[in-house]
Amino acid sequence: MNTGQFVLGAAASLALLSGTAGAEDLTVWTLNYSSNAQVNALKASEAEFEATHPGVNLEIVMRGTDEHKTALRVAAGSDTGPDIYFMWAGLGLGGEYVKAGLSRDLTEYYEKYGWDDRVSVPSLAFVESFGAGKHGMPYRFTGEAIYYNKTLFEQAGITAEPTTYDELVAAAEKLKEAGIAPITFGGTVNWHVMRLMDVLLETKCGPDTHDVLMEMRADWSTTPCATEAFTELDMWARNYILSPFMGIDQKQSASLFFLGRAAMMLEGDWHVNPINENADIANFGLFPFPTGADRLYGFAEYLYISSKTDKADLAAEYLDMFTTTAFQDQIKGAFGALSVNKEVKLGDDALDLHKEWITIFDAADGTFVNGDQAFPLDVTTEYFRIINEVASGNMDPQAAADAMQQFIGNRA
Amino acid sequence: MVLRSNSLHAYRTEALVLLAPAFAIYTVFAIWPMIEVVILSFQRWNGLSADRAWAGLQNYRHIFTADPVYWMAFRNTVLWTIMSVIFPPVVGLLLALGLNQKLFGRGSLRAIYYLPVIIAPIAVATMWRWMYDPFFGLFNQVLTNLGLQAWIADWLGDRSIALYSMFVAYTWQHVGFSMVLFLAGLQGVEYSLVEAARIDGANRWQVFRHVTLPALQVTITIVIVLSTISSLKAFDIIYGMTGGGPAQSTQMLALWAFTQSMQIFDFGRGSAISVTLLAITLAIVVPYLRWTQKREAASE
Amino acid sequence: MNSLAITARLQAAPVGRSDPILIALWIALVSVAVIWIAPFVFIIFTALKSNAEVMTTSAFAPPTDAALENFTGAWERGNFSTTLVNSVIITVIKVPLGLLISAMAAYALARMRLRSGKLLLLFVLFGAMIPFQVMLAPLFTLVNAFGLIDTYVGIILPYLAFGVPYQVFILHGFFRTVPKELSEAALIDGASHITVFSRIFLPMSLPVLAALLILDFVATWNEFAMALVLLQDRHMWTLPLGLMSFQGQFSNDYGQLNAAIVMTVLPAVLVYLIFQRYFVSGLMSGAVKG
Repeated sequence: MNTGQFVLGAAASLALLSGTAGAEDLTVWTLNYSSNAQVNALKASEAEFEATHPGVNLEIVMRGTDEHKTALRVAAGSDTGPDIYFMWAGLGLGGEYVKAGLSRDLTEYYEKYGWDDRVSVPSLAFVESFGAGKHGMPYRFTGEAIYYNKTLFEQAGITAEPTTYDELVAAAEKLKEAGIAPITFGGTVNWHVMRLMDVLLETKCGPDTHDVLMEMRADWSTTPCATEAFTELDMWARNYILSPFMGIDQKQSASLFFLGRAAMMLEGDWHVNPINENADIANFGLFPFPTGADRLYGFAEYLYISSKTDKADLAAEYLDMFTTTAFQDQIKGAFGALSVNKEVKLGDDALDLHKEWITIFDAADGTFVNGDQAFPLDVTTEYFRIINEVASGNMDPQAAADAMQQFIGNRA
Repeated sequence: MVLRSNSLHAYRTEALVLLAPAFAIYTVFAIWPMIEVVILSFQRWNGLSADRAWAGLQNYRHIFTADPVYWMAFRNTVLWTIMSVIFPPVVGLLLALGLNQKLFGRGSLRAIYYLPVIIAPIAVATMWRWMYDPFFGLFNQVLTNLGLQAWIADWLGDRSIALYSMFVAYTWQHVGFSMVLFLAGLQGVEYSLVEAARIDGANRWQVFRHVTLPALQVTITIVIVLSTISSLKAFDIIYGMTGGGPAQSTQMLALWAFTQSMQIFDFGRGSAISVTLLAITLAIVVPYLRWTQKREAASE
Repeated sequence: MNSLAITARLQAAPVGRSDPILIALWIALVSVAVIWIAPFVFIIFTALKSNAEVMTTSAFAPPTDAALENFTGAWERGNFSTTLVNSVIITVIKVPLGLLISAMAAYALARMRLRSGKLLLLFVLFGAMIPFQVMLAPLFTLVNAFGLIDTYVGIILPYLAFGVPYQVFILHGFFRTVPKELSEAALIDGASHITVFSRIFLPMSLPVLAALLILDFVATWNEFAMALVLLQDRHMWTLPLGLMSFQGQFSNDYGQLNAAIVMTVLPAVLVYLIFQRYFVSGLMSGAVKG
């Protein structure tokens, strides 16, 4: 505690010193968003913050997903880096940085600004999970579900949204028979196909077993549902994914979806805006992947204040501003359906798909996160490889489960 | 006496002034990292914490026995090197032999073949990735137009061809380099010898086989060694085209070392992989340096 | 376009002395050249097409009306104003500085009697052969230890280090061929080696230096792997990093992606076309003497 206070004091005095030096830079590292709405929302936050903080130069650096991960990790090992950084809140990503001491304890700011009362409960799930104190400020809570092309569903004679896994497979089969590619994924970015594996694991294993598998406390090779999930993945890749898919990335896959080349896509609530910007949104519907359990497939994204910054107070002011009711109201819908601020509700003019997301969020009971957020980095890399091996028909399901377990076993 | 030692001193100072900048920077930023990579390979370090624990041979044991990707990367590196030593130099030699004739426009032709060499490998990767695009890219479009739909492929997504697809791009970029070296070598072939052989009734092949080829021996060795070294360095093009995918099937040692160190942040294992690549390189470079020295000694 | 013009010119001209083998050879060489240049044509065409046009028209169909907004769009989204300036700054400092220190060292090794001269030369030559790709991680920790990540100095120093071996090697070879009489007269007159180097050798080696300058320009301009590790802040990114990032983010905007490729590649291509003969002579001097 003492050292913490000392560091805090030092940081405060440093902040004072740099404050006298004139213009102050505050750097935020985040993702590059494909939707203009999201980019504009970030720009609006920049403008708003600079307007209320004369002499402060807020800078938002956006990067692609994989690049952002690398850059941040590199910054973690060096003396450079941002004052505020974006990260997914799960164990494998945000958690690793908290454990590595890159994140600053925000308890005092939570108290000062009353964030606990402002932010919705599910999005706070990871704040106290990985280190002493409170880490990160939720700035987005997202879910992932299946978007579908209504015209293509009609063409294939599908009249109702699938509510069970078997119905989903039956729908995919109907689409295939009608000559329509049922679903699209981009294989070069490993995390995209992984989403299918994640929901298949939830479907085949159920929440409890799925969780212990992801925590690496159950044996993958002897847990039958792991092999079954790989079997289903193999079946989807063989029959239902728009082919070829291993040579394209998620963006290209999305383009094909907008063009009507495939009927479904497993995407997050952030995908509503890209659909709206690139296609006729009235033609698209939405349903949760029918895993048979009620958990929402999704995750929280946090903005963390770096432990290395000497501008923690200023950074906290930005986080505070970003999550105020006034500002969240101004940008609502940009980052997805749900604001992390409890007070902010979607307006009547909101897109139908956004409203539908709210129903999905409300109906959900708990969440399960994406595999790359659950696993440590090295296991994620191997998980990606095994998924891709199965998806390209190069590894049979039991061998995949064995390979997974072997890798996990070798770590110990 | 005083004068002499003074001038000796001045001589040394001068030498030092001339040598120091290059050697200081070279030693610190090129040689030291090479030593450091060896040290790191015997340690466990995540790049974040202050302590680097000694791990003995643990990292090597891991990459050789427990790493599911290492041997694939090793195999690909060897395969890539073998292909790089054969294809770009052979094509380069053929082009050089062609361009060595008095042909109209050979300056322009030479310029065109050499053009890809000066383009950033990462740009080559981006270009070819777009050309290989399975839906809208050049190759599949051309094949469709030619009615060869059956040949359409997921060039970079199909593990059985992805490595070769990348190698085609690599060849496109590197042929010009071998070509220019061979052109230089051909300048050294005595024209009178060729003439004499022709007068003696030798046909083109015989001239090539018995006059040109022997005269090119030194150039061939240089081209092969340079091709080997540059193939071991293959990094940008793989990073940009497949990132080692699909399912790590196009992974190579240099990129896998980078992935372990800079993406998974296991500096120990990454460095161990680097050291194995370093060892392969040395196995090629050291004999070559010996050979160069002998040549130089012979020419002196 | 370029290839077409060349083909037209070539066809108009008589070939060789109408030796049938030479004609066949010439046709083969031109065909290969057309294949070699086709990717550029495809990239330029794509860069000038709207996304809709890319997906509907055939690959070698010329763009209907040039979508120049691809270039302005890519320029902005790809942060080209920053990456271009960084590439220029790094290259303009690194290349001449590198040549100077290499030439100094090469002179000392070639013309001064040093006890460990041979060993030093071997030591340098060794570095020319070792791929720096194997040491990206230690290079990162080293530069980081100096607190130089995301700085020009932090990238220029390693660039210098890995440029030195090849240049010293080539210049050493050149300096050794210079007749003794030239320098000895000056040395006997009491000139120092530094004077002899700067007054006699440096001016004399201008053609070799020019060739090395061009080669090193291209190498530095195109370098990717080291920059990827040492430059994390996008304000410090060079063109290749910018292009890679652009591909990661806008891979489905084919027109802009190809415009970005064109803009990245263009400076090097222009330099190449202007200084073409130096490229070849530079490489050749390395090869022949190597």
